[in-house]
Amino acid sequence: MTIYVNDKEINLNENLTIAQLIESLKLNIKSTAAAVNKEIVPKAQYSEFILKDKDRLDLVTIAPGG
Amino acid sequence: MEIINNEHLTTNFEDKLTIGKYSFKSRLIVGTGKYPDFATMQKAIELSGSEIITVAIRRIDFEQKENMLSFIDQDKYTLLPNTAGCFTAEDAVSTIRLSRELGIFKTDMVKLEVIGDPKTLYPDNEELLKAAKILVNEGFTVMPYIIDDPIVAKKLEDIGCPVVMPLASPIGSGLGIRNPYNLKIIKETVSVPVIVDAGVGTASDAAKTMELGVDGILMNTAIAGATDPLNMALAMSYAVKAGRLAFLSGRIPMKLYASASTQMEGIVF
Repeated sequence: MTIYVNDKEINLNENLTIAQLIESLKLNIKSTAAAVNKEIVPKAQYSEFILKDKDRLDLVTIAPGG
Repeated sequence: MEIINNEHLTTNFEDKLTIGKYSFKSRLIVGTGKYPDFATMQKAIELSGSEIITVAIRRIDFEQKENMLSFIDQDKYTLLPNTAGCFTAEDAVSTIRLSRELGIFKTDMVKLEVIGDPKTLYPDNEELLKAAKILVNEGFTVMPYIIDDPIVAKKLEDIGCPVVMPLASPIGSGLGIRNPYNLKIIKETVSVPVIVDAGVGTASDAAKTMELGVDGILMNTAIAGATDPLNMALAMSYAVKAGRLAFLSGRIPMKLYASASTQMEGIVF
């Protein structure tokens, strides 16, 4: 299936959770927050939330700013 | 340029900045943007003596090799998420809710800005008030960036914001204080602390701002954009302390004519 992570198209196996995707991208889950199709997903649900074809996933963290 | 040690600079009285349920020794809050690299940012933060550090919330940059968080000691600093770049109440509220899911912030303090125009970066008061109301109701300690408008400051205080943050001049402009009288009126209008957010260009601006009697300053560009950000961070830490002490000490009134410092009694010739 195809999903969009921060607008970047990526191809994944079916039944992948947000937690698994974060791990595969070698990101630190502790400093990552996620929204799927602009809906915020609570961190407690990352290991249960299964991504679907064409989902748009936003992965965010802190960034420089004032 | 060599960095001067500021260890000797201490005050002999308790003078804490209180924001809602939180208290701080430093009255200077700094941003983390525009530094050439995270190592410079880290050192500038340290030299500024700040305890509150504001950060933006953005999509992860997969090309970024360094982890910004590893440059900030969270046992030492309070990280303040901000809504920089949000143009609607909805976006600002979503950004803050998303920041909460990060799970890295140790307080519920948030810096709320809802921008109305990209050229001036002035806030959109209507959207700001809407977002502030929602976030206060959700239990956040909301620190709103506002124009130097006493009316909107009062409305935000009434909503439940434990601080208001009027600009001195536009964000990143370095113009200093464009309307010191409005800042004074805001200080007299609200009973919550007033932190001047944006517009400071150099140390004298910071000192003058604090001499008005405001409770603190939030700045980013004035330090990060300086030719030597590290020494400017130190200069700002001195300026904020000097301005605060001068305000508390009560300056002499301005007079048109001279007033001799030396007595005439005992003069020989």
